[in-house]
Amino acid sequence: MKSLLKFIVAAVLLSSIAFMLGSYQTDVYRKVLLWVTLALSYNFLFGIAGQVAFSHFTFYGIGAYAIVILIFQVGLPLPLAILAGIAICVVLALVVAIPATRLDGFYLALATLAFAQLFIVVLDAGGKVTGSAGGLANYRLPDLFGIKVNGPWYTVVIVLLMLTTLATLWRLDRSYFGRACRAVRDDAEAAEAMGVNVVRTKIIAYTVTSAMAGIAGMVYAFVDNAVNPPIFGLENSFILLFMVIVGGSGRHAGAIIGAVLLYFIPLLLSPIIGHHHALVYGVFMVAVVLFQPKGLIGIWDWLKLRMKLRSRA
Amino acid sequence: MNDFLELIVGATASGCVYALVALSYLLITRPTGIINFAVGEWAMLGAFGGFLVLSRAGLPYPVSMVLILAGMFLIGWATERLTVRPLVERGAPALAPILALLGMLVVFREIISVTVGPDPQPVPPAFGFGRLELGLVAGSYQSFFIITVTAVVFASVWYFFERTLAGKSFEAVAIDRRAASLMGINLRRVTALAFAASAAVAGLAGVLVAPNVAASYLMGVPLAIQGFTALVIGGVGRVEGALLGGMILAFVEQFTVRYAPIPPGLVQGVPLVLLILFLLVRPTGLLKAKT
Amino acid sequence: MSKQSDTALLVCKGLGKRFGGLVAVADVDLEVRAGEILGVIGPNGAGKSTIFSMIAGALACSTGSLTFSGEVLTGLPTHAMAARGIMRTFQHNKPFVSMSVRENVMVGMHIGFAGSPGSLGPLWQVLMGTRGAAKAEREAARKAEELIDFVGLGEWRNADVATLSFGQGRLLEIARALAAKPKLMLFDEPAAGLTPAECERLSVIIRQISQRGIAVLLIEHDMRFLMALADRVVVLNFGRKIAEGTPAAVQLDAAVISAYLGEISDIKRDVKVDTSGVLANA
Repeated sequence: MKSLLKFIVAAVLLSSIAFMLGSYQTDVYRKVLLWVTLALSYNFLFGIAGQVAFSHFTFYGIGAYAIVILIFQVGLPLPLAILAGIAICVVLALVVAIPATRLDGFYLALATLAFAQLFIVVLDAGGKVTGSAGGLANYRLPDLFGIKVNGPWYTVVIVLLMLTTLATLWRLDRSYFGRACRAVRDDAEAAEAMGVNVVRTKIIAYTVTSAMAGIAGMVYAFVDNAVNPPIFGLENSFILLFMVIVGGSGRHAGAIIGAVLLYFIPLLLSPIIGHHHALVYGVFMVAVVLFQPKGLIGIWDWLKLRMKLRSRA
Repeated sequence: MNDFLELIVGATASGCVYALVALSYLLITRPTGIINFAVGEWAMLGAFGGFLVLSRAGLPYPVSMVLILAGMFLIGWATERLTVRPLVERGAPALAPILALLGMLVVFREIISVTVGPDPQPVPPAFGFGRLELGLVAGSYQSFFIITVTAVVFASVWYFFERTLAGKSFEAVAIDRRAASLMGINLRRVTALAFAASAAVAGLAGVLVAPNVAASYLMGVPLAIQGFTALVIGGVGRVEGALLGGMILAFVEQFTVRYAPIPPGLVQGVPLVLLILFLLVRPTGLLKAKT
Repeated sequence: MSKQSDTALLVCKGLGKRFGGLVAVADVDLEVRAGEILGVIGPNGAGKSTIFSMIAGALACSTGSLTFSGEVLTGLPTHAMAARGIMRTFQHNKPFVSMSVRENVMVGMHIGFAGSPGSLGPLWQVLMGTRGAAKAEREAARKAEELIDFVGLGEWRNADVATLSFGQGRLLEIARALAAKPKLMLFDEPAAGLTPAECERLSVIIRQISQRGIAVLLIEHDMRFLMALADRVVVLNFGRKIAEGTPAAVQLDAAVISAYLGEISDIKRDVKVDTSGVLANA
C-alpha cells in the first residue's frame, strides 16, 4: 500500500508539471522522461546484470516501428495494436536473448553492435513497409475508445511509463532476482555453484529490459510522430551507455541523474558548442571513467556520508 | 573474365584495408587484452591527416605519409598515456579502459566534426586515379598500392614478432602479463608501443581507403565494425588471422554485391550477418592462437 | 559395512578420469553418509582435486558412476547439483564483490527463492510485490543473520566484501554455501591459507555442520587438521585409493606411510606425518 501511494504521488507531481508547460518545453520534458526510462532499463541490463549490449535502441526502434506499422499498415485498432506491439517486443527480445546470452563481454558487445547495424540496414531497405531511409511520418495517434489522448495527457502516459519502469526494476533489483543478476555479473561460476541458473537469469534480464525498451519505443512513436533509421542507430546507443556510466552504473538514481544531466547540459552549452552535443558526452564519459568511476551518484553518496559523519561529531 | 579478375583485385585491396584495421586491434588486444573501439576513429584521423597534408598543404606523398604515420604514432601513444595507463595502474576493472576508449571514440569524432566540418573531404591516392594492367590482372593504381603496402606491413609485423627480441617480448606479454613482468619486460613500454603502433596502422588504413570513400567524420564506426569482423573471422590469436579474415570478409562482400540475387539495400547486411554467425558458431575464428 | 551403505548419501563407484593418455584417477570408490566427515588426503598429484571436481560436477567422469540419494548425477549442470543439495566451497575464495556480506549469504538461498526450475511464479510475486514475497525476503534476511553469526562473521555483517581478510572470506564461503540448506558439503582444501587460530575455528564449524546431519567431504593437504576432524579417511596415491578407515588406522597403514615418506624426501612444506604422536598413543 505504501509503495502504491508513493507511485501515485510521484505520478501526480510529474504529471502536473506537464500541464504547466508550453509546446517546446513539453517536447523537452517528454524526451527527458523517455531518456530516463531507457536509461533505467539499460542500467539494469548493463550495470546490474553486467551485460555489455548495444541493442537497447534497436528494441526501442522495433517497438516504435511495430506500433506504427500495426496501426497504419496492418490496420489494427489501437488497443489491439498495443497488445500486439507488446507481444512482438517480448517475443523478439526473447529470440535475441537466447543466442546473445551465450556470449560474454566483448563478443556480446560485438554481436549486439552488428545486430543494431543490421536493424538499420533492414529499415533502409524496407521499401514502403518501413519507409526506407526517410522513415514513416505524418501519422497521428488514433482515438482510444473515442478519446483523443494528446497534449499534456500524452505526457501523462509517458510519466506513467517511466514510473512503471522504475517501479518494476526497483522491485526486481531488491529481490532474489536482482541478487542473482549481480552474482552472475560478479562471478558466474560461483553463482552457478550456489544454485543460480546462470543462463536463465541472463535470458530473463535481457528479455525484460529489452522488452521495456521496445514498449518505450511504442510510446515514443507518437511523440515526434515520425520514425526514421538514424534515431535508432548506434549513436544513441553510445549516448545511453554514457548516461548510465556518468550517472553511476548499477544504481537507479544514477541512471536518472545521468540521463537528465547529459540531456540538459548540451542544451545549456549550445551557445558555445552548437549542435555538437556528442563532444560533451564523450568528454564527460572519459572524465567519469578516469576520475569518478562510481559516477555522479558516487559524489552524492560521498556528500551524504560527510554530512552524516559531521552530524555525529 | 577480365571483369572477374578486376573484381578480385578490388576485393583484395578492400581485404587489405580490413586486415590493417584488424591488425590495429590485434596489436593492442594481444599484449593488453584491451579492446579498443576507437581504432575506426584512428583510421578516420589518418584519413583527415591525408586531407590536410596532401590536399590542403599539397605536400608530396612520401613526406605526407611519414608525417601522418608519425602523427598517428603520437596520438596512439598519447591516448594510452592519458586515458589508459592511469586506469591500468590504478587496478581498475577490465571494462574501464574499454569504456574510456569508447568515450575517446566520440571525442575524436566530434573534434574533427567541429574543426574540419561535417562534410566529406577528398584525399588523393598515391599514384593518381589511373589503371594498371599486369598481364591478365588489372586494377586501379591505388588498389595495387594498397596491396603492396599491406604486404609490407604484415611482413614487417610478422618478422617483428617472430624474429626480433622486442617482438618476442610482446608475445610474452600477450601470453602471461605477470610472468613477463617478472622476467623484466617493461610492461609500460610494451603497452605504449602497442597503442602507438596500433594507431599508426589504423591511420595508414584510413589514408589508403580514403581516396575511394572520401574522409568523413562518420567513417570510423563502419570501418571499425568491418575490422572487428575480419578479426573475429580470422582469429584473435594471430597476425595472419587478421589478413585471412580481412580477405574473407572483402571477398564475401564484393562477390555478394556482384553476383548474389539479394536486393542492393540488403548487401550491407552481409558482413553483419557473417559476423553474428561467426560469433555464435566459431567465436575463436578460423586460425587458432599459438600456445 | 553394507548396512552403513544403505544410508550412504553419496556413492561413487569406480570413478576414473583420463586426460588424453594421462590417467589422473582410476577405479576409486567413495561413500559419504549423512552426518559424517569423510576426509580425502594424498600426496601432491594424487588426484584429490580431480576427484573433487568430478564430484562437484565441474569435471566429467571418464568412467564410473556418481549417485546421490540414489539418483545418478552424471551430466547435471552445476546449478542442478546445488538444487539437489550438493554445495561446495572454493579454494580461492570467490565472493560476489559488489554485494555486502549479508547479500552474499542471501545469494546462497537462491534455490529456496526461485522455486522449481522453469516456474516464473516467484518472479511474478516479486513484480506484484505480494506479501508472500516480502515475507520470504524477511525470512531470508533473518536466516542469513543466523548463518553469519554461526560462522563468526557477526561484526562484519554489513561490511564490504573487499575489506574481509582471506580467513574471513573463507568463513563467508561457508556461510553462503550453508544458506542453500545442503545435504552434502564439499570442502576444497578449506584450511589452505588460514592461520592456526582460524584453522581451529574452521574445525569447530565443520564439526558443527556435520552434527546438523549434513554429510561432509573434505579434501585437505594439512594432515593434522584433517586427521583431527575426519570420522573416516580415504587416502589416494597416483589416482588410486590405497587406504581407507579411521584416522588412527590409516596413519599406521604401511602403504600410507611409504607414500608420504616418499613425499617428505621431496621437502614438501606442510605434509608432516606426526608418527611420534601416533606411536606414543599406540
